Amino acid sequence: MFSITVGDDGEIHLSGRFDASRVEQAEAIFSRVTSTCRVDFSDLQYISSAGLGVLLKTQKRLSTTGQSLILVHMNKLVRDVFHIARFDLVFQIDEEQGPHLKMS
Amino acid sequence: MERTFKRALAALDEVFGFLDEALSGCAADAGSAYAVNFAVEEFFTNMVKYEPEGDHLVTISVRREANRLIVRMVDTGVQPFDITNAPAPDLSDSLNDRPVGGLGIHISRELLDSVTYDYGEGQSTITFVKTLET
Repeated sequence: MFSITVGDDGEIHLSGRFDASRVEQAEAIFSRVTSTCRVDFSDLQYISSAGLGVLLKTQKRLSTTGQSLILVHMNKLVRDVFHIARFDLVFQIDEEQGPHLKMS
Repeated sequence: MERTFKRALAALDEVFGFLDEALSGCAADAGSAYAVNFAVEEFFTNMVKYEPEGDHLVTISVRREANRLIVRMVDTGVQPFDITNAPAPDLSDSLNDRPVGGLGIHISRELLDSVTYDYGEGQSTITFVKTLET
């Protein structure tokens, strides 16, 4: 299961598994973002390279107007993937640790 | 454990269902399970992307030997595509230079111990090994 929702404060909340079959669903939300926005990863168990691609594409678009995504509350496994991708160089990642989620 | 899937993006949920079952059967830890899911998704979606035509099948097997997981993916009726020869992606800090694609194979190889590719008679075989983390 994957879900993406936008809170009243504009924060994007990801939950479940963000894989290649969820790209369209996620892009429908991310493509509407036009200013700096927090993305809450606390309920995200898994992200694949397809999910990373959606985030990078959004970050590239926002950077042209000086805006950005701020990624918060990643679990350790997701954060490890971001570090291997060296996304810590191109995203602001809030290092405060999110819940340690088991794969299910 | 071994199962065969249609080579299509729509089969991905079924692939993950199989991996959950197979990895629990191998008593895989969460980190190793993540790595296997990530790599299988990457290689499977590559197979779909480069050979979208036809009704060909992909067979995936998962087994445990001592403290290592060994995963094999066999794709039939295809041209050779050696993922181990994929060029390294640009990992610079410049957003402009970062391509949106091409990261997945690199990350998969970093997460795994080894990845090998074999080709013969229209069949691609990817075999990878992941040592359990706990």
